[in-house]
Amino acid sequence: MELFLQRCFDGMFNGAIYASLAIAIVMIFRSTGLLNFAQGEMAMMSGYIALVLLSAPGATGIGFSLNGTGWAEQWVPFHPWPTGVAIVGAVLFGGLLGAFIERFIMRPLDGKSTLSQVNVTIGLLIMLNGLTLWIWGPFARSFPSPFPNGIDDFVSIGGARLRYTTIGVWIVLLVVIAGLGALVQNTKTGLAFRAITSNRESAALVGVPIRRTLTVGWAIAAGIGALSASLVGGAIVLEPLTMMKMLIYALAAATIGGLDSPLGAVVGGFIVGLAQALAPGYLGIPTELTLLPPLGAMVLALVLRPHGLFGTVPVNRV
Amino acid sequence: MTVIDQLTETEAEHTGHRPRLARVGWILLAIVLSVPPLVADPLELTRLSRLVVLVLAVLGVNLLTGYAGLISLGHGVFVGVGAFAMANLIDQGLSLFVAGLLATVLTGLIGLLLGLPALRVRGLYLALITFGIALAFGPFVRRLGSWTGGVTGRTVDNEAFVPPSFLGLDDQVHVWRYLCCLVVVAVWFLIVRNLIRSRMGRAIRTIRDNESAAATFGINVPAVKAGALTISAAMTGTAGVLQAILNPYISHADFDAFLSLRLYAAAVVGGLGTLLGAVFGVIALIVVPFLNDAVGLIDNEAVVFGAGLVLITFVAPTGVAGLFGRNGNTAGD
Repeated sequence: MELFLQRCFDGMFNGAIYASLAIAIVMIFRSTGLLNFAQGEMAMMSGYIALVLLSAPGATGIGFSLNGTGWAEQWVPFHPWPTGVAIVGAVLFGGLLGAFIERFIMRPLDGKSTLSQVNVTIGLLIMLNGLTLWIWGPFARSFPSPFPNGIDDFVSIGGARLRYTTIGVWIVLLVVIAGLGALVQNTKTGLAFRAITSNRESAALVGVPIRRTLTVGWAIAAGIGALSASLVGGAIVLEPLTMMKMLIYALAAATIGGLDSPLGAVVGGFIVGLAQALAPGYLGIPTELTLLPPLGAMVLALVLRPHGLFGTVPVNRV
Repeated sequence: MTVIDQLTETEAEHTGHRPRLARVGWILLAIVLSVPPLVADPLELTRLSRLVVLVLAVLGVNLLTGYAGLISLGHGVFVGVGAFAMANLIDQGLSLFVAGLLATVLTGLIGLLLGLPALRVRGLYLALITFGIALAFGPFVRRLGSWTGGVTGRTVDNEAFVPPSFLGLDDQVHVWRYLCCLVVVAVWFLIVRNLIRSRMGRAIRTIRDNESAAATFGINVPAVKAGALTISAAMTGTAGVLQAILNPYISHADFDAFLSLRLYAAAVVGGLGTLLGAVFGVIALIVVPFLNDAVGLIDNEAVVFGAGLVLITFVAPTGVAGLFGRNGNTAGD
């Protein structure tokens, strides 16, 4: 029982990370019907920006200096920033990156085939990954946790340790969801966003500013994605391949929950996180194959309920 | 003549409206490819052979994505399956030809198996599943140590691959390998060409253009998709077989998710839905790093290639092949 609880708590941490990246994917899918394969890499760039903002110039923990820290020391006031502030900076950077990509790359493709839009996001995936690799090198970097992450920082529940980082990550996630909900329900932009999601042509006809709203939507989505990359710190290291794996977990989470349902993304993230934590112990799946249970769950979800647990059933016009 | 035949008749004319230009292209290609064995040194020729093999893998992606409209981000897996199957079948004492044939069939069957759930899903979801499989393949291969050599990889016993004595190529194995690769790839090109022009090829393209309409016309959509997937996986498996022979040391790192992404990118850049597109795609894979070195601005070819993929969608949505006038088969929604 103790072990079971412990595994669940471990899974919950990852679940929160997957959920936040999944929310980013869902937000864009809802409004544009596009699966953004570059979401993980956009988040990863932002994560590295956070790392640059919070690291002092010179060698980091593992002996490789981080490119850009010298530049940041010269130009960024009060550098190096505390971890929490640096993460806010990364979220802002992610938002700008998202808005930029929407404005200058995705918007001109509006009305083109789904295939060309997918191709562009895959191109962005390759490009951003290469860019991160080029700038910051293939080294794994440890990322300080914004929450107390010492050896004694945990709450003991039934003998199992619920770490402060796990609690912190879930609080952040819940705040993000609440904020997003408030934004969508109570603001004019949120209303426009809902209108676009519900029926784009009609929304355009009644004068909803489609383009501006989509840019804002992309910025928010990318900001939430950036959060996921920054919060990974404390549990695993950041390296150029980290977010590629995260992306597939997040995609699995989004698919299980239903690609157009933010609530589904959170539940899906939770399920994937738990599956990943529990499968090695109880199903005898070796730890390096932890990709398989979420992948299997995703395939199963697609075959049995292609629209996910909470998604809307699409109607296909012939 | 069935409804489908009538329906796609116009498209067949449409795609063939510049047959002469394409034919000139193929002849030029044949001439260009016949020069290297005479001039290139063994190392360069082996490198070129590998590129020829790569064309086959890109053609596999092209068949599935360009003609059938099924996005695959996992074809690197099939290259890997073909290569590892070849290595193990040689271990069993099979002759190279039989081993290669069996490995090809096996890869096709595995493609079918992996794709079975995918046949129920549409569009983007297949991209999702295949991408997941591409990411999971590396750890999976590392796990099957006795077959794949685990983390370090394994050698392939390609000693038996020597030219027959009557050719007089005894001390020029690399030329023999190059010629064999060319022949095998050419055979696959012929198979795909004939397939595309056949009844099944028309069914494949109809499904791409409008799946619901295809079903209404009485096309057995799952069966045709399964067929396209199997053939596509099989030819990509052949590429793996050839690669195992050319490079007798294979490991999981050779078949990571980036191989799949590169193959996909090459298929798109070259031009989806045209046979020559596969050739152009691989040429782009060579030219881009070369130009990048020449300019020397960014020391990472992935950046340039990714940017190229984004750019080509704006500049030439039909790929490089489209620039040459054969803009018939653009893959639609």
